[in-house]
Amino acid sequence: MTWDRVAIVERQLDTYLERAEPAARRLGLDAPLSGAGGLTAVGAIRLFEDQLTSRQLDVAARELKKTNRSFYTIASAGHENNAVVGARLRVDDPAFLHYRSGGFMMARARQLPGSTPMLDTLLGIVASSDDPISQGRHKVWGSRALWVPPQTSTIASHLPKAMGLAFSLARAKRLGVENGLPPDAIVACTFGDASANHATAIAAINTARYTVRLGLPMPLLLVCEDNGTGISVPTPDGWIAGTFADQEHLAYFHADGEMDDVWDVVGAAVDHVRKQRQPAFLHLRTIRLWGHAGSDAEHTYRTPAEIAATEADDPLLRNARRLVDSGAADPEMLRDLVRETRDRVMAVAEEALRRPRLQTTEEVIAPMAPSHPDLVALRATLPLASPDERSASFGSTLPEDATAPTSRTLAGSLNAALADELLRRPELVVFGEDVGRKGGVYNVTNGLQRRFGQARVFDTLLDETSILGIAQGAAHIGLLPVPEIQYLAYLHNALDQIRGEAASLQFFSSGQFRNPMVVRVAGLAYQKGFGGHFHNDNSIGALRDIPGLVIAAPSRGDDAVRMLRGAVAMAIEDGRVVIFLEPIALYHEKDLHATGDAGWLSDYTPPPAVLVPGEIGLHGAVDEDADVLLVSYANGLRLSLQAARRLTEDHDLRVRVLDLRWLNPLPTDSIRAHAADVGTVVVVDECRTTGAGVADAIIADLAESRTGKRLASVRAVDSFVPLGPATAAVLVGVDHIVAAAVRAVGRRRHATGARS
Amino acid sequence: MTRAAVAFPSSGSYGPGSLGSIPASHPWVRRADELRSTYDLPPLSLLDAAERFDPSVHLRSANAAPLTLLSSLLDAERIADDHEVVVVVASSTGWSTALAASGALPFDDAFHLVQTMALLAEQPIVGDDPGGQLVYALTDETWQQDPMRRSALAAVLAHHPGEAHRSIELGAFTTISAVSGVLPQLASELPPVQVGRRRFPIRAGGQHAWHTPLRAAAADEAATKLANLAWTAPNVTLVDGRGVRFTPWSTDPVELGRHTVREQPTETYDFAVSLRVALREYAPDVILLPGPGASLGEVCAQLIVGEGYRGVRTRADLESQQAGGAPILLAMRR
Repeated sequence: MTWDRVAIVERQLDTYLERAEPAARRLGLDAPLSGAGGLTAVGAIRLFEDQLTSRQLDVAARELKKTNRSFYTIASAGHENNAVVGARLRVDDPAFLHYRSGGFMMARARQLPGSTPMLDTLLGIVASSDDPISQGRHKVWGSRALWVPPQTSTIASHLPKAMGLAFSLARAKRLGVENGLPPDAIVACTFGDASANHATAIAAINTARYTVRLGLPMPLLLVCEDNGTGISVPTPDGWIAGTFADQEHLAYFHADGEMDDVWDVVGAAVDHVRKQRQPAFLHLRTIRLWGHAGSDAEHTYRTPAEIAATEADDPLLRNARRLVDSGAADPEMLRDLVRETRDRVMAVAEEALRRPRLQTTEEVIAPMAPSHPDLVALRATLPLASPDERSASFGSTLPEDATAPTSRTLAGSLNAALADELLRRPELVVFGEDVGRKGGVYNVTNGLQRRFGQARVFDTLLDETSILGIAQGAAHIGLLPVPEIQYLAYLHNALDQIRGEAASLQFFSSGQFRNPMVVRVAGLAYQKGFGGHFHNDNSIGALRDIPGLVIAAPSRGDDAVRMLRGAVAMAIEDGRVVIFLEPIALYHEKDLHATGDAGWLSDYTPPPAVLVPGEIGLHGAVDEDADVLLVSYANGLRLSLQAARRLTEDHDLRVRVLDLRWLNPLPTDSIRAHAADVGTVVVVDECRTTGAGVADAIIADLAESRTGKRLASVRAVDSFVPLGPATAAVLVGVDHIVAAAVRAVGRRRHATGARS
Repeated sequence: MTRAAVAFPSSGSYGPGSLGSIPASHPWVRRADELRSTYDLPPLSLLDAAERFDPSVHLRSANAAPLTLLSSLLDAERIADDHEVVVVVASSTGWSTALAASGALPFDDAFHLVQTMALLAEQPIVGDDPGGQLVYALTDETWQQDPMRRSALAAVLAHHPGEAHRSIELGAFTTISAVSGVLPQLASELPPVQVGRRRFPIRAGGQHAWHTPLRAAAADEAATKLANLAWTAPNVTLVDGRGVRFTPWSTDPVELGRHTVREQPTETYDFAVSLRVALREYAPDVILLPGPGASLGEVCAQLIVGEGYRGVRTRADLESQQAGGAPILLAMRR
């Protein structure tokens, strides 16, 4: 028995077409395939053309793979009825597609004259830099012109942003944000039956339903392409229907049978979503041909009989039969079409192979982290609210004139900065758990909903995956989301929304799609009286390695307001995703050294004053020689300043303190310059010892660049943060910093013989 | 077999060098001459047999268009058997030739289409003004696109909404059409550019303001006069001036007819898009260029370079490819 299943399935179609007899009567082109159905003969032939093209692209990918000339073999074969979904949606219905969407893309491209989906797809398969969407970075289904943002997800992690875009459509219109989408646009996303089980999928579907319960529009078409298998694991019979058919606020449509039956059901589902502005679950039956991917040896987990039975159910064969039996087409015509398409795809594949590929690191990473500091600086200044507008919004006392301590804390400063940004940027929206009515767990968003309305400042349900999904979806259509993650530990459960999705969008779309956002994350340790690990998480290791992600970590209020403006400007101008990490313990801190000294309060700097990555803060012995350089951020800055005083008073040491402010990208040049100047460096990192913060990176860079003479670091213990006073046993304290600095300096004095 | 694309030229292509290219004894020529008499127009064979090219006669739309049709079709008939024609495109009114060559219209109907449209194109737009057009070059002498020129063109079009219209897009060149009174103003607003010995913008004759909304009345009249043509699916895929593909399998003849008669006269014809679709989706080994003339050759060459097709990314690449053993462009007349 041959195991070239591609050849077997191809032959099966050929054999049918060779032996089939034409129908007694040819259908008129405008005639429906069945009495009451909506699919006409010509519509059915066009679908078949698109499905056949999709199939032959899969065949070509496998053929080229034999000689290692293609790099992606996850196929659409067996899923070609998703072409019906492509045909029934419009080009301006944003679509987030999973990897078996060849039919969908061919049918959608047909709607846009001048499209060239065949070469475009092959350029992706052979990883050419001429691929119009990813430029050779990944085989994706994507197109700017076709409103298909590229996805690489295999685990339904694109569903939250699809939901988020559907959530944001009406809001964008209401806020006057122009994005070219018509008022009745809907959003589609496709996924497999296996990934429907993923927490991310469930979260998105749950939020879609929740939104309906709130009375808000959610025009989302969830297309579950059920091929009954997740790689090798069969989906239990009836699982998808059993799970999703009877959910409240979710219409369920089951598309199966002949292509004209599928056409009608898909049409009904699309109509439901478009007219009702409510979500629908379209359960589209498919099969999977040729294993999960080219490398998947299907015969190791399925019997030959099972494989043959699936192949006999080939939708192309079935649709060809339907076309012939109904009289929409005759066998000779379809034979001719099959031959032409096969020849054409292979000829176009040869052209794709002649196209260039990415060569250099610079070419690969070009769209990953766009950086235009001059334009960002300009963006930070514009637009500027007038004095009258600010007075009207802030009332009698502008934040820069405020004297009340609560207005001059980190939390108070951020509140005013957010208000200023909301005031001057109508596309900016603030949302998260408790940010609206309550004004945030720590009052950072206090009063913003009252001042700027529920359309712009709103509470979400308690699900970080959905919060970040809403942020991505909103950002896709021109809104500027500033979501809040209530605690850093909560982010981890949703991290893939940043890691795999938001941060990668510009990379995989060559900058053609962007999801700019500033994600405010309350985090880090040292909360007094509110302890435990979950609210004092001190690790950002999971964020620091994400390519292109910007991480801001302000410590003082006056820095935070300018950094927030820099973050917003970077998001708008360069489309960046920024994590704005706010140290909870400093939100309401007033003092630096002693109770009542008000050393941690600061005056508000109104717009357009701004800070961007690379701009560090310096304290202590700045314009004079120093004995030791303390490099820190966030809580660590305040501790370092306290330690600096003791080092001076108790140890007669002159201390320079460098506030990193931005943890990604690190201000490496500034660190090196000050390290070279001072010589002795102690990195004060409040995150855990092993890779949780920035100490490793800073020490490594200084060592590798042979900068500085004596390098040391103080870090938190590799432990979860305990409750109550025991926190001191694992977190960095002033004593640790003082001791480390004295040790480092002492070694120098010993080494130079100046003092023993 | 060689995969071939065919690109038919527009109706203004019949030039001095085309005289004598139409054999009077050929059945199509004889039939065309018979049909010409029903329009009270002189036989094409006679015009083609003229001793010298008379612009007032040979460039007249009502003569040039059917002369072009015949000349092109006769060339297409000579396409060698070792070429498999996989896709057909056309520049502007050459679309009618493509319809005839691909069997989408029988010869008589194709002739009626061409002759009727050509006569309508001679009608004035407003009063006695036939309108006119400017040709502007968008690439430099090395065939690279000059973005400044495209933005200047866009600015001029934006400055004259409803007056100036992009009528034919050729990639290397574009034509903008308007009523005659506006043309000098448009010409003065476009930055002059020199390409070789030619200085653009150039005021061009023929096809007065075709492919613009100024021709809505002509489209209406065409729809009435050409209501009974026997449209059918082509026997090879046609790609029109929007980039839409009409395949032998899924063409709705009614749509094809409606687009040709009602939409093409009033919509921009983008040859660059059509050839791009043909190259990218049909991967031809050669592009055959039937006559008359070979004016589409340079346009196609520049589009090949713009696309980087077959690794041809510069003018020098193209010239070297053409000089080698496997030229991409094959002109059937010179």
